[in-house]
Amino acid sequence: MAVLVTIVLAGGTIVTKFLTSAIDYYCNVDEIGLRAGCEAGRRIRVQGTVEKNSLTAVNNSTNFVLIFNEKTIRVVYEGDPGGIFQECIPVVAQGRLVGDVFEATRIEVKHSNAYVADNADRLTKAEAQECSPQAG
Amino acid sequence: MTSASSTTTQTFTAKVATPTTRLVGAMAIVSMAWVVLGGLFVTPSDVNQGDAVRIMYVHVPTAWVAYLAFIVTAIASACWLLSRKHAMGFDRVAGASAEVGVIFMAMTLLSGGLWGRITWGTYWAWDPRLTTTAFLLVTYIGYLAVRGLGGSLEQRARRSAVIALLAVLEIPLVHFSVLMWRSLHQRASVLSGDGDIKMDGSMLTTLLVGVIGFTCTFAWLVMHRSRVLAMQDAVQSSQLDAALQDRASESAGLK
Repeated sequence: MAVLVTIVLAGGTIVTKFLTSAIDYYCNVDEIGLRAGCEAGRRIRVQGTVEKNSLTAVNNSTNFVLIFNEKTIRVVYEGDPGGIFQECIPVVAQGRLVGDVFEATRIEVKHSNAYVADNADRLTKAEAQECSPQAG
Repeated sequence: MTSASSTTTQTFTAKVATPTTRLVGAMAIVSMAWVVLGGLFVTPSDVNQGDAVRIMYVHVPTAWVAYLAFIVTAIASACWLLSRKHAMGFDRVAGASAEVGVIFMAMTLLSGGLWGRITWGTYWAWDPRLTTTAFLLVTYIGYLAVRGLGGSLEQRARRSAVIALLAVLEIPLVHFSVLMWRSLHQRASVLSGDGDIKMDGSMLTTLLVGVIGFTCTFAWLVMHRSRVLAMQDAVQSSQLDAALQDRASESAGLK
């Protein structure tokens, strides 16, 4: 019986965590302040592509611009985002909009469902690595 | 009672290894060896993910085979419920398949966590795919716990069959969660439905061999586990018979 109670509690915890994380995992950059749940003042997750030539690292801070549907937002993150974070890759930044800067406390890289060999021909490789601001 | 159960056990022991299990086992070994060699040495690294993409050759097949295992559990459960004789073999296949499915699903989450740490930058996120997968795992751990609650073999089969038929409905929710909701997890590459497989040729070949290998491993484990469960059921039944006999003897003595 104790095992069953533990399992029910585990299932309840998972459902609760899921619902508090919101069913839609993120807002796109162009939805901030426009879509319900994407209000500018609250803690949100924002999805977009790291714009080309926007990535800089100052001291311990990582700065970049997120772009989606031609809308952009400046993002500041303290530390190294990790994963395969780089320019031209879609990411989900979790944090809060302060003024016109999104102060991220967590960055998650969102890789695509395409798997291209590192030794593929140059055109295929370039297509796989190109910036895709509509990702997501 | 002791002699009865040992006789039963000896009878079943002789049937554990069969030509079919040996063939399936051999197919599993060969295909898994292919996956290890192909996954580590033959296939290229990914242009964005680098060598982390090699985790896919375990992650995706274990996920698919876990789905398969839970579907087999549901089908075997339906067969038990619908069959006139309620053959316990169906129930044992259902139980064995769920056990193996839980192991494979746990492997999926573990390999996915490692893959996520390297690519996403985190082991875990409460996104729709990961959350529904974790919920599916917990559901089937619950199914196995219910199977162990006790009672007669028929009681066990009936209550677990009902749960299995309900639990299997979670699988479409898990699979389509990345389409139904916005998710950190990428969408399907092979089973995308649009016929466009977004994967390098040798990667796809190794992945499909991995699916065959893990499927054979699943089949081999279920066949053996079902036979072990048959032995356990035989022992349980013989113990029950002996207990009933003892009780009858006691009652006769009292008269």
